[in-house]
Amino acid sequence: MPDEAPLFEIEEARFTAGGRTLLGPLSLSIPGGACVGLIGHNGSGKSTLLKMLARQQPGEGAIRFRGRALADWGARAFAREVAYLPQATPTGSGLLVRELVALGRYPWHGALGRFGAADRAKVAEALALTGLDRLAERVVDTLSGGERQRAWIAMLVAQDANSLLLDEPISALDIAHQIEILSMIRDLAHRRGIGVLAVLHDVNMAARFCDHIIALQGGRLIAQGPPAEILQPGPLEAIYGIPMGVLTAPDAGLSFCYAR
Amino acid sequence: MGERLRLGPAMLVGGLALAALGMSAATLALRLPPALWIDALASPDPSDVQQMLVRYSFAPRLATSLLCGGALGLAGALLQLALRNPLASPTTLGVSAGANLALAMAMLWAPGLLAVGREWTAMAGGLVAALLVLGLSWRRRLSPLTVVLAGMVVSLYCGALAAMLALFNSHYLAGLFIWGGGSLSQQDWTIAQFLAPRLALALLAAALLVRPLTLLTLEDDQAKGLGLSVPLIRLAALALAVALTGLIVGTVGVIGFIGLAAPALVTVAGARRVGARLLWSTLLGAVLLWLADQSVQRLAGDFGEMLPTGAITALIGSPLLLWLIPRLRLTLQPPAGLGEAVRRPGRPLLVLAALALLLAALVGLSLGVGYGLEGWSVSGDLLEWRWPRALAALAAGILLACAGGMLQRMTGNPMASPEVLGVSAGAAFGLIIAMFTLNEIGRAAQLGAATLGALLALLAMLALARGSAAAPERVLLVGIALGAMFDALVTALMAGGDPRALLLLNWMTGSTYAATATDAVVALLAALASLAALPLLARWLDIVPLGGAISAALGLPPRRSNHVLLIATAAMTAVATLVIGPLTFVGLMAPHLARFLGLQRALPQLVAAALIGGILMVAADWFGRTAAFPWQIPAGLTATFIGCPALMWLLARRQRA
Repeated sequence: MPDEAPLFEIEEARFTAGGRTLLGPLSLSIPGGACVGLIGHNGSGKSTLLKMLARQQPGEGAIRFRGRALADWGARAFAREVAYLPQATPTGSGLLVRELVALGRYPWHGALGRFGAADRAKVAEALALTGLDRLAERVVDTLSGGERQRAWIAMLVAQDANSLLLDEPISALDIAHQIEILSMIRDLAHRRGIGVLAVLHDVNMAARFCDHIIALQGGRLIAQGPPAEILQPGPLEAIYGIPMGVLTAPDAGLSFCYAR
Repeated sequence: MGERLRLGPAMLVGGLALAALGMSAATLALRLPPALWIDALASPDPSDVQQMLVRYSFAPRLATSLLCGGALGLAGALLQLALRNPLASPTTLGVSAGANLALAMAMLWAPGLLAVGREWTAMAGGLVAALLVLGLSWRRRLSPLTVVLAGMVVSLYCGALAAMLALFNSHYLAGLFIWGGGSLSQQDWTIAQFLAPRLALALLAAALLVRPLTLLTLEDDQAKGLGLSVPLIRLAALALAVALTGLIVGTVGVIGFIGLAAPALVTVAGARRVGARLLWSTLLGAVLLWLADQSVQRLAGDFGEMLPTGAITALIGSPLLLWLIPRLRLTLQPPAGLGEAVRRPGRPLLVLAALALLLAALVGLSLGVGYGLEGWSVSGDLLEWRWPRALAALAAGILLACAGGMLQRMTGNPMASPEVLGVSAGAAFGLIIAMFTLNEIGRAAQLGAATLGALLALLAMLALARGSAAAPERVLLVGIALGAMFDALVTALMAGGDPRALLLLNWMTGSTYAATATDAVVALLAALASLAALPLLARWLDIVPLGGAISAALGLPPRRSNHVLLIATAAMTAVATLVIGPLTFVGLMAPHLARFLGLQRALPQLVAAALIGGILMVAADWFGRTAAFPWQIPAGLTATFIGCPALMWLLARRQRA
């Protein structure tokens, strides 16, 4: 585990809906400055946990961000620190890529503040970092799936937060775009010291791109550690409930898991 | 189907039927001792007026209400299944309005047609309207919201045309109006005997459609893959629904709401399979109209014959619909936003400048040019009389367009507008309550009452449609239900025959005729204030349509922005409604026209919408003043008349970018 101060500290967090416990009780601390993958089977509570961390969904228990309880953060102050990308992003807004990315500056300038030179510079930087310069004047809805996802991530980058919460950022993309988006996210984390927590469906992808993996099962923490520790038959079987095997591709030095 | 809801459709129909039965028995008991009931029905004593009344008025009316309700319930269910659209109904698809318009036109220009059979004329009108709606939404692959938008536009247009015809030919069409409200009064059994076999035939035809319609509940491609001719089945179901609606409109008039509420209620109550939905919708429709009609007779007493049942069905149906909307499982699509991408012009400022020029020219025209006894004239002499109404129209147009644009962004719903969401109806209702309860009220008190009404309607709408970002259909249903309920209450109040009702009627159609200088100045100030507030709200209005999750993540909790936007919208609507009445639909049309011009960002779009709203209303006011001199056509009506074709043309033309 990277030895930065924890970003989020979670104590006895729990979320129930309609008498069913979807998450918890869960106690966990999430490291900062690293790319952290959140994995688990369907309904394991990964999205719920992410939503609670992003203050999208209130739950029981105590969650602290940078040592301060989530509820004590002001709306815009929190948005300057934490950027969140929901699983389904809206379509049909009619915005240009540049305009969408510029919305990420809202936490900084607010409803009435001036959109100044610093804001413009951050937008340009975000467009450059995500390789969207060429597409800046295109309407977001006319982009391909991968490009659209990059535009949304660019908005999060322009938000200039030092932690990103991403809910299945690659779920609707083909494999080339999955690799592209995840490399971009990992680079952001490493080069700019941004803490990333991403819900990922694909263990192999999580193992390949994340520095640290947290696995949930039935709303509880079942395993966490560096990818090399998680990508073992034992932990994987515990996470998914079926026998799993792990292979190593000699040419790439990569490990893969498969269901046996 | 909600897990908590254990009410089966049989329970629902049974319970409502019991209530209707009790009401009918109580009404009957007032007229005739129970001992004579059987006699009166089987072989009435011709010398006893009461017995004759029961035999030839009460009983056939009851039967007619059952048959009409059943037919409308079935028509609604067929439409909802065929179009996979929980909002489809004879009223929302414009079928009823088209049928009504056809009848009015036939009555004026081809009375011979009516001798052949009113129902054929009505069916033809309904069919034309339905085909127009489908044609308009064909390019969007009949997506539910587009179909309903097209249906509403066609409906509005038919309504405006019929109202204009009525204005110019009031002596011929007075009868049409009473019956346009859907009166079930009967003198004998003719209508019931006419309807019964036809409804039976329709049920038989529907039974044949059960299996293909079941396949249609899948995606079109899957249904096609299973060997179904999708267009053929869709057309057959549509034709059957149109025929049923035409039958009802041709015999008793327009009865709204049953066709929407019955199938929706049945689905929530747990009818899942196609056959069950068709059958229970028919039964529930019958029972709902029976109950509504009995309530009318009971509550209105001697006025029962005067109060059109069609206007009152909403009083029973809309609370039911409001109750069920949170339980209604709608196909959850990702938030659709405000529509698909449109070409964006390079210079929004140029578009805005052109619109502003057009508006200025129109205001000049309206103030300077008129048509009088000596024909056309250009002069400034009449300025004193002309400016209040022209500026009142201008201000109302601006206010409604801003309110509509803000609501569309706030709800992420392309069909939101103060008129559609019942906000205008709420304002009107607040005003009416104030007028009828307080003796002398000033303009300030009226404004307060209207604002309060609008705000309450908005709050009710938002509370009932919570979590609606994912289901614009839900917001729309709530709005339709609220609007229908307010309309019904207004109708009921007006049917009391109070002299103030006449004033109201004039105001309801959107007349600027009586606008005073004070009205115009106040409204104009409010409009300018709204325009000045737009830049302050623009950032919020850019973020809000992206949905609650995104806007919260950007540090703008929807709760906070919604409060401010809600109050602003309610106040704008209230001022506009006070001046121009609740029925203009500028608030729906103007923001769309602005978007079609390619303006997408909040600020340019709303400014353009405000200009377009002003253009529409000033033009409408001028046109209404001169076109039929010495008669006046209410500006609200004319605005619909001008704006609807524009919206239809754009709807048909637009394509995916």
